[in-house]
Amino acid sequence: MKTDFTADQLARPAIADAAGILKDCVHYGFCTAVCPTYVLLRDENDAPRGRIDLIHEMLESDAAPTARTVGYIDRCLSCNSCMTTCAASVDFMHLADIARAHIEKHYRRPLADRIFRQLIARTVLDARQFRLAVRAARLARPFARLLPGRLKSLVALAPARLPPASTAIRPGVYPAEGKRTRRVALLTGCVQQALAPHLNDATIRLLTRHGCEVVVAGNIDCCGAFTLHMGHEDKAKKFARGVIGAWNAEADGDGLDAVVVNASGCGTTVKDYGRIFAHDPNIAAAASRVAGLARDVTELVSEIGLLAPENAVALKIAYHDACSLQHAQKVVEPPRALLRAAGFDVMDVPERHFCCGSAGPYNMLQPDIAEQLGRRKAGHIESTGAAAAVAGNLGCMTQIAAYSDLPVVHTVELLDWATGGPMPVALTGIELPPPAPVGAGASPAASDSHGIW
Amino acid sequence: MTNQGNLDAFLGDVAATLGADNATVNADTVTRYGENTMPGGDRAPAAVIYPGSTADVQAVVLAANTHKVPLYPVSTGNNMGLGTRSASTAGMVVVDLGKRMNRILEVDERMGFAAVEPGVSFQMMADELKRRGGQWMISTTSGPPEGGMIGNALDKGAGYGPYFDHFGFSCGMEIVLGNGEIIRTGDGSIDHDELVNWHVSKYSFGPILDGLFTQSNFGIVTRMGIWMMPRPPAIRSFHFAFPDDDDLAEIIELCRPMKMSGFVPTLFRVANDMYLAGNEDTHPEYAATGGKASISDDARKELQRKHGIGAWTVSGAFYGPSMDAIEPQIERVRAHFGASGKAIYVPHEDALDRVPLNCAIDSFSGVPTNAELGLLKWRPGGGNAWFTPGTPMDGKMANEFQAIGRKIYENNGLDYTVMNVCGARFARGLHVISFNREDSDEAARADRAYRELADAFFARGISVGRAPIDWHDFHMDNVMPPFRDACNAIKAALDPNGILAPGKYGIGSP
Repeated sequence: MKTDFTADQLARPAIADAAGILKDCVHYGFCTAVCPTYVLLRDENDAPRGRIDLIHEMLESDAAPTARTVGYIDRCLSCNSCMTTCAASVDFMHLADIARAHIEKHYRRPLADRIFRQLIARTVLDARQFRLAVRAARLARPFARLLPGRLKSLVALAPARLPPASTAIRPGVYPAEGKRTRRVALLTGCVQQALAPHLNDATIRLLTRHGCEVVVAGNIDCCGAFTLHMGHEDKAKKFARGVIGAWNAEADGDGLDAVVVNASGCGTTVKDYGRIFAHDPNIAAAASRVAGLARDVTELVSEIGLLAPENAVALKIAYHDACSLQHAQKVVEPPRALLRAAGFDVMDVPERHFCCGSAGPYNMLQPDIAEQLGRRKAGHIESTGAAAAVAGNLGCMTQIAAYSDLPVVHTVELLDWATGGPMPVALTGIELPPPAPVGAGASPAASDSHGIW
Repeated sequence: MTNQGNLDAFLGDVAATLGADNATVNADTVTRYGENTMPGGDRAPAAVIYPGSTADVQAVVLAANTHKVPLYPVSTGNNMGLGTRSASTAGMVVVDLGKRMNRILEVDERMGFAAVEPGVSFQMMADELKRRGGQWMISTTSGPPEGGMIGNALDKGAGYGPYFDHFGFSCGMEIVLGNGEIIRTGDGSIDHDELVNWHVSKYSFGPILDGLFTQSNFGIVTRMGIWMMPRPPAIRSFHFAFPDDDDLAEIIELCRPMKMSGFVPTLFRVANDMYLAGNEDTHPEYAATGGKASISDDARKELQRKHGIGAWTVSGAFYGPSMDAIEPQIERVRAHFGASGKAIYVPHEDALDRVPLNCAIDSFSGVPTNAELGLLKWRPGGGNAWFTPGTPMDGKMANEFQAIGRKIYENNGLDYTVMNVCGARFARGLHVISFNREDSDEAARADRAYRELADAFFARGISVGRAPIDWHDFHMDNVMPPFRDACNAIKAALDPNGILAPGKYGIGSP
């Protein structure tokens, strides 16, 4: 695609980056059929190709973004399914980030929208406020139908139970069981600490059991992913600087072999720190260092090699690929291979390339589309006949649980269970199959049910 | 070009029948429906409409007859390099069957068939079979996973496994003819409510009409039966890299008996270096030459080294009860190709880590894959067209055509990019013409190269299997006049007002 930015515009790093991305788009249009919003809405501008044109027009213009353009960009999930299928390798992920930051800087949203977005950004990232908000939502639930659209959806999304604040993982060093082979930092996550600290417990047990000394650094608020998705670039960078500083200090001190992330939405941002700070010489090297150390927990355990399972249960599970894992980080096989090695019967989910509708703040900001996607995903998961759904991202887990009656667990919970940890609480009460021989996890390929071979 | 008054009246009728949401003249929409990758430019339609059923399609066709508005049906519009959703000429009304007619109507796991609507893609069908437990597989192309199964079969598309012939493995259609009548083919043609044999037998009483609707514009197929293959427990691929361009002759001779005997169940993919390297790489010398010269031999050698491929790389696969059980067949095929003294064997396990070879494995396994789409970015600017001649499985002849093809690509400063898909008696040569569509000179060279290739092959008695929309008339001009007349006579009989895609495939050109 030919662009016509002025020299002044190109002197701005974000515009120069955008120009480089835009030139790659040649309008093949493969992206449309795999874009969830296009499939649901069938509007050309609700597909990546259309959005790219709108972003092009918006960035080249010196005028404020139009409400129409903002609406189309807001409806993008940033699931990056388009990037997996794009034949021209258009970096839509970063183009969307640039567009969102541009909108936040140059577009004045309607008052109600501004208030709502501020409310979300503040409460989700602050554990205390988040807990208060969840309690308020629970109190409001009987009156939910009287609330305006997005507030009603927020109330519906609030979890029925919250773990006590005391269960959040404390900063510190968690020693390896037996000989230490690696020293790793764990990102415990802001929302995850409030909503599901047991996932961090399971991760620490799994990693320490596999010879890792796990460091949970103090003074880390948030990795910046959530605010970045909302276009709050400056705030996201502020959060990220804190994380980068803390982990560089650890790396300079006793050393780090990896930074482990068990919430893949966060993992995508942490792995992207190098690019996010590429134009800031004060932190570029440190950011790239952290990005280079970042691993999804399943990548690291794959590198180490899973211990022989102590408790191999051939439970039939449907593995849901979080978009941030499959499309952004391209981590597709490690979770499946580990779960199979642990003895589980792993089912792929039909339409696996499609987003579940969680997408960071998306299910709060665009509840109608998110609900359609959530129901669609839950239906596909349940169609597999699995006893439980598995995902590597808390956001997806929450979204799927909202629309499915199946228990939903994290990959690390199952790996922890299989290698000696407790059974995931979500599986309490379900009928378990008899123990499977070690390594007998079923493959996705058919067995010879036709009796031919 | 459609008369505006007629168009308005037609769209009014369509909106009244299908609902206003299912017809649009939105500028963004029609612009994008006209986009394609051809050197001949985009062709924006006048409108786009979205029927939801066979009855809707019939209503649209009848309205088009009434108001003399030309229609251009597309299924999912993913036939990249051949036209995508773009009509052969601007100003028609695109009938997008993919938006709402995308239902899998039936899956019979005893008889091994599915009945689908035109919007059902390979990915959707693969997902559905996965959901049902993965006991069945479909034949997939190595093209876009979102490509439509019906559209591909009707355009004579193909896969790579035993069910590779997508039209041949279809059975029974429902069609809205250009005159608005609805017919069923095969055993579905009986005048009865119970169509027991519709999707299991092609040979009922009367002529076999199905073939009339391949690469034609006589009707809109709204339902098709697709035969499925039981998924084998194990699929194991094999690959051989050959170092020299002229090795193609020997390769073809080696492949022929393996296919003729039925020893190898898949087709052979015999891909040249550019075809495989282009999955992942871009033209390394493009900036230096401004795209005016073919890639150098040195750069080709470097790409071969980088990707672990040869000047030609042969891929095939066996099916069996387990990977171990397939090993004797692998050993046999290794001995066969190894006897040449030039073949370097690449085992299945190594191929899994090489994107271009992994693409072959997916293709043999009925798994839709994006991998080969990388070919489209070999050169910048998004230009892409496919030239698809074929030759008998004769090594000497294959090499002669290789020499002709290479020369024409080089004369036009383009990069010879070919995969020969080989059966027992025939090899289809999938020639990719990658070019910078934003560079008018390069686009003109691509057009010239296509015409020179087509002329050169035609001079030796060879036409193409499929054709990009820019050259439909060009190829029809190479057909014997009585055949052309017969096509136009059928068109006049089934679509007397010529409202279905006039000029597509060179039939009923206005």
